[in-house]
Amino acid sequence: MNVLVIVEKKDGEPRRVSLEIAAKAEELGTVTAVDVGGDRLDPGAAASALAERAKAADLVLVGATPFGRDLAARLAAALGRVYASEVADLEAEGDGLVAVRTMYAGKVRATVRLPLPAVASVRANAFPLPEGGAPPKTETVHAGGAQKGVEFVRFEAAKESGGRVPLTEARAIVSAGRGLKGPENWKMIEELADVLGAAIGASRAVTDAGWRPNEEQVGQTGKTVTPDLYVALGISGAIQHLAGMSGSKVIVAVNKDPDADIFKIADYGVVGDLFEFVPAFTEELKKVKKGA
Amino acid sequence: MRILVCIKQVPDSTVRVKVGADGKSVATDGITWAISPYDEYAMELALERKDADPSTVVSVVTVGPSRSRDALRQALAMGADDATLVTGAAAEAAGGIALGSALATVVREIGPDVVLVGRQASDDEQGLVGAALAHALGWPLLTNVERWTGDEIWRATEGGHEVWKATGPAVLSVQRSEKEPRYPSLPGIMKAKKKEIPEKDLASLDGGAAPSPSVVAMEPPPARGGGKIFKEGDVKQHAAAIAKALRDEAKVL
Ligand SMILES: Cc1cc2nc3c(=O)[nH]c(=O)nc-3n(C[C@H](O)[C@H](O)[C@H](O)COP(=O)(O)OP(=O)(O)OC[C@H]3O[C@@H](n4cnc5c(N)ncnc54)[C@H](O)[C@@H]3O)c2cc1C
Ligand SMILES: Nc1ncnc2c1ncn2[C@@H]1O[C@H](COP(=O)(O)O)[C@@H](O)[C@H]1O
Repeated sequence: MNVLVIVEKKDGEPRRVSLEIAAKAEELGTVTAVDVGGDRLDPGAAASALAERAKAADLVLVGATPFGRDLAARLAAALGRVYASEVADLEAEGDGLVAVRTMYAGKVRATVRLPLPAVASVRANAFPLPEGGAPPKTETVHAGGAQKGVEFVRFEAAKESGGRVPLTEARAIVSAGRGLKGPENWKMIEELADVLGAAIGASRAVTDAGWRPNEEQVGQTGKTVTPDLYVALGISGAIQHLAGMSGSKVIVAVNKDPDADIFKIADYGVVGDLFEFVPAFTEELKKVKKGA
Repeated sequence: MRILVCIKQVPDSTVRVKVGADGKSVATDGITWAISPYDEYAMELALERKDADPSTVVSVVTVGPSRSRDALRQALAMGADDATLVTGAAAEAAGGIALGSALATVVREIGPDVVLVGRQASDDEQGLVGAALAHALGWPLLTNVERWTGDEIWRATEGGHEVWKATGPAVLSVQRSEKEPRYPSLPGIMKAKKKEIPEKDLASLDGGAAPSPSVVAMEPPPARGGGKIFKEGDVKQHAAAIAKALRDEAKVL
């Protein structure tokens, strides 16, 4: 099958999820990889620029970043193709594909059949990144301007997110909830995240209170994340929070309430005060990372 | 201005969804139904426009089985002016692209200036209908909308917010509202009870056949739990033990 991989770039470099799907695509068929050039791209303009290429492919794969999901849905709609979003696994079967994806706010894992031609957006960390593999050769498709009927006015940068990996692609996430008591207490969260090279997440209680920016919210109405390590601090484990993070490989939870639901899905947990735990954990991680 | 909000009725977010006996759908007995969370945000954004300018008309539409009427009733109680139910044998199984074309027909009849959809329905989690609808209408689509004032449309993007402006009709896919979606007021509920909800047959709309994925199996997510939980003792010692275990046992460092 002919597979078109759309590579998303960030600061000039292909994103990790793009490399993951490019490697997977090699297993599935003959790969063409393109990237869309331009800063602050309009996904609508990008979809128009890519439509002809996508039409020629049996399968279009896009990383399920906010941009990628938007783009993938537009391509599927424009070409009238079968679409599956946020795919967590993908295999060829017969003359089509089978994909695994979650449904019902993460409460169900569904296996779906995709007859070709099809479009899929794929979650980060769904497929391994081959060690030392060369990044795919991509051709740049230029997608300037905006869709007809809307105009870009300005960009307002979020102050808080400077320099961290995006949540949906992070291999480690430190996430904090109402147990933190107030926004002034995030310094220790950042220190812990720095040691782990982690992104920072939050419960909705925290984003609703305005302690942290909305884009850090994890859960049913926030981001769905699939890191290797998710550290939940002072988060009770409401079903809507679990919807966004229970696909993490290893979960560490700290909560002073022994009955908190978060412990039901945790791999490691401490019933205790997070204000005591976090600084100690940060120091211990530093030691462990040095090989102690 | 006229705004049309497309809503979907889904299991309430607190429902513990179970896989049905056929192994490829969810068991619907005993489920509490609700408006999909992102659609509630879309309702809130639309109703805020109406708060700002009372001449604004907010319409809602859903495609679904007859129980979806309750979702429309809820939207009316929140403050929508009118509601349309599109139903029929195929309503529950319709794929995103077919829904997009069917909703486009409704849009042409109702004639809104702006159409709002949710970022994704919390049952199928596809995030496709908005794109399909915009394509069928030939209207622009802005996704991840988080704020909509008179002329500014704010999109959440990685690292910040993009501000956009629409020069004509547009589809907005909503990610959140600044305020929590409002609860229906008592007078709202009384008024909603009296409103007629006209019905349309899905088969009579230009849905067309469009391919969509077919579910072959559903299962609960892999079971978790049985983790190592330190219930008492020295928190600092536990922190050390977990740090080591993450490296040596879980191998995630
Ligand atoms: C439709 C809908 C969608 C939603 N979507 C989301 C979503 O996407 N994401 C999300 O997170 N929520 C979502 N929610 C909200 C969710 O139901 C919970 O209200 C929310 O997750 C609670 O956040 P929390 O765990 O931080 O706060 P709480 O539930 O208040 O928990 C705080 C926890 O901190 C612990 N604690 C307090 N002090 C300490 C201390 N010193 N040391 C250790 N532990 C401490 C407490 O024991 C408690 O368990 C949604 C709700 C609805 C209805
Ligand atoms: N059956 C439906 N009737 C009306 N609107 C719908 C329907 N299905 C989806 N939508 C709208 O499209 C959005 C995205 O849905 P989906 O593509 O299914 O994830 C939802 O949040 C709704 O706003």
